[in-house]
Amino acid sequence: MMRGHRRILAACVAAVFAAISVAGADAQSPRRSEYEVKAAYLFTFARFVEWTPRPSRDDSSFTICILGADPFGATLDMTLSEAVIRGRRVGARRISEPDAAAGCHIVFVSTSEDRRMADLVPLLAGAGVLTVSDMPKFTERGGMIQFVTAANRVRFEINLQSARQAGLMMSSELLRVASAVRNATGSM
Amino acid sequence: MPPPAWASLIIAAALLAWPHAAHAADDQQAPTRLTEFSLEQLGDIEVTSVSKRPEEVRRTPVAIHVITHDDIRRSGATSIPEVLRLAPGIEVARIDSDHWSIGVRGFGDQFSKALLVLIDGRSIYTPLFAGTYWPAHDALLDNIERIEVIRGPGGTIWGADAVSGVINIITKSAADTHGVSITTGAGSIDRGIAGLRLGGGNGSTFDYRVYGKAVSRGAEHHADAATFDEWWSTQAGFRTDWRRSGSDTITVQGDVSKGNHGQRVSVASFSPAAQVPLDGVLDALGANLRAQWQRDFPGGDGFRLQAYVDRTRWTAPHFGERRTTFDVDFVHHLPLGQRHTLSSGAGSRISPSTFIQAVPTLDFTPRSDTSSVYSAFIQDEFVAIRDRFWITAGSRVEHDSYTGFEAQPSIRALWTPTPGSSVWSAVTRAVRTPSRIEDAVVSTSYSTTTIVPIFLRVTGNPDFEAERMLGYEAGYRTQLGAQAHLDVAAFHNHHTGLASYGLGQVTIEQTPAPVHAVVDVLPVNGVSGTSDGFEVSPGWQLRSWWQVRGAYSYVRFNLANTPGSIDVNAVNRYDGSSPHHQVRLESHINVGHAGELDTVYRYVGPLAALVVPAYHTADVRIGWAVSPRAQVSLAGQNLLSPYHVEFAHTPGPAVGIARSVYLEFNWRFANARP
Repeated sequence: MMRGHRRILAACVAAVFAAISVAGADAQSPRRSEYEVKAAYLFTFARFVEWTPRPSRDDSSFTICILGADPFGATLDMTLSEAVIRGRRVGARRISEPDAAAGCHIVFVSTSEDRRMADLVPLLAGAGVLTVSDMPKFTERGGMIQFVTAANRVRFEINLQSARQAGLMMSSELLRVASAVRNATGSM
Repeated sequence: MPPPAWASLIIAAALLAWPHAAHAADDQQAPTRLTEFSLEQLGDIEVTSVSKRPEEVRRTPVAIHVITHDDIRRSGATSIPEVLRLAPGIEVARIDSDHWSIGVRGFGDQFSKALLVLIDGRSIYTPLFAGTYWPAHDALLDNIERIEVIRGPGGTIWGADAVSGVINIITKSAADTHGVSITTGAGSIDRGIAGLRLGGGNGSTFDYRVYGKAVSRGAEHHADAATFDEWWSTQAGFRTDWRRSGSDTITVQGDVSKGNHGQRVSVASFSPAAQVPLDGVLDALGANLRAQWQRDFPGGDGFRLQAYVDRTRWTAPHFGERRTTFDVDFVHHLPLGQRHTLSSGAGSRISPSTFIQAVPTLDFTPRSDTSSVYSAFIQDEFVAIRDRFWITAGSRVEHDSYTGFEAQPSIRALWTPTPGSSVWSAVTRAVRTPSRIEDAVVSTSYSTTTIVPIFLRVTGNPDFEAERMLGYEAGYRTQLGAQAHLDVAAFHNHHTGLASYGLGQVTIEQTPAPVHAVVDVLPVNGVSGTSDGFEVSPGWQLRSWWQVRGAYSYVRFNLANTPGSIDVNAVNRYDGSSPHHQVRLESHINVGHAGELDTVYRYVGPLAALVVPAYHTADVRIGWAVSPRAQVSLAGQNLLSPYHVEFAHTPGPAVGIARSVYLEFNWRFANARP
């Protein structure tokens, strides 16, 4: 019995080392957690969007807000810890009411807010913020950028009309990479 | 038994040296930060744990712990029961290589009574003994998206038998398992594990996967050099997810399995009058098919309709059973205005079974039986103060073939004083319905000889009632700054009618020879009282590459026999079959971007009723992503001593759970773009 064990182990070790030598040359990029990638997206979106200045907002720094229950936890703060956008420091804030969104550049709308989306859309658009969420049918209901996860990869869809109405300019690069762009309510 | 020097060295290295090494590597290599990736590059990163639950969990008025796919991978565990050790408040004790005692907040037992276990909504709890036969239920661990471990009663939502807790195993959607994944591993006790998964589809409207798995595992440590607990199992299955118009999802899935589970049982013989140990295998065949139709509208309106059929055939040295279970279940969620969400549902489960006698001293009357459960529930979640205070109240009414109607109401409240913290409390009534054993078994065992041999005969008691529990719970969760979190839950449960034994008649039997006395004992609802306890589970992200977590669980009992119960051991058995104290400490370190170092220390208190001493042990896992497609890991389990006993159940000397190592290789080829 013991001899059988050793043989299996030896074969397994040999197979592993063979695989290492074949695959070792590849780049090392292990899987990331879903919200680590989403946090990086939130930061990256800022490079492709122009905000209209607002008196309610301090444009000397850049603020990303989470509205509702926070799915990121420490991930967002770590992602943004040394991040700089156009020479401005980036901070994260957690808010529970849309009134507090006036000081934000990007508002990530948590799925906990799903039921009051109809109330939130005009309030957030009025505040001139970029709205991002991973709740279902977010762009269909007037949200601007919706994360869509398929085959373990996080992509995003855009509602361009909602962004324009809030006074935001999206770069063509952002629209090109989006997996879908909705130009007017109801059409793709 | 002091741990050997090499094991201590590994632990010391793991806890002290590696973090510095990792930190140094972090600084020197200046690894690419995700914030420097382009939009396209972000879209090509394969992500883990596509679960949308964390924020929901923080707002759930239930003591729940979610074990994610990544937690499972980094635990180095090779079976579902071993994975469950990750949750606070749960007691997992390995009896031998292929049997476990699993309890939640006490009630540890090989047959995990009163603990409901579901795989993708399919109950694997068997009415035969009112528990889960763990070795017969496996899964490709890589297919599991998350395991929700709910401590405490959940009868209103989950139905009967969700008394001490619910374990909800949820597999990944087929859209998340595209490509090829091959897992092979071998080790000192896990002789070999091989898994293969193939998946495809368009990632939006139709996706599928098929998988197969084979496991061979050797014996644990036996003082008498026995090897009865060697076992193997094979399993294969499929899943398809079909989505229409964004709101309808139809899932069809199924599995077939065959297992050969070695065990030692003890069987009574009349001549000579004795209790004879019998080594043999339980041959388990299983097949199931499940279909689910789920409709989700934005705003929370939706329903889920599921139906499944599950067949098992068990052939053991001392018994056999054939069972087919049919289950239909419907749940509907309806938001009413801005403040209410009404959930309601109905279901039925019909489970015909036939017992096959293998030894004269174990039988059922009648041998064939059909157990049935019909139930309906209604529950309202009421937003008392928006974003601050919620109240959930409801009840399930259930009719089962053993005890008739049972009501299982609950009321729960949740308060979130700040966005990062919540306080909750609940009062719940739950019932555990009788099993076939309590209802209809005829099981004879040899006791002693005074003048003539005396046998004890457990005879099923049709008057055995459901065990009932009224649970009071409270909990607090908080985010301590951006890097730490804390989860505390406490409970006080009132138990009524827990199973024990009552005295029946004493008869003298001439046949089979020789003349012997038989003392009839009946399962009765003979023990009542309370249990109390709490769990504290903090987590701390010390650095971006270093996470530590811990859990402390405490439970104590205050139970007493009620008149009619002659079972002097029952109270001690309930009190002393579960550890009163458990501690778990975990450290998870990312070494650069390709390495992982995971260390676990755990302490489990003594089991007084089973004369099992306290033990402490440690596991270490080293993982390395050789490339995006290939990962190697080496896991050492139970490193602090050559072996330790975790439970005592099998006849003969208690089985020692041995130190072991396991090497695994995972290779995946995923389609680059869906």
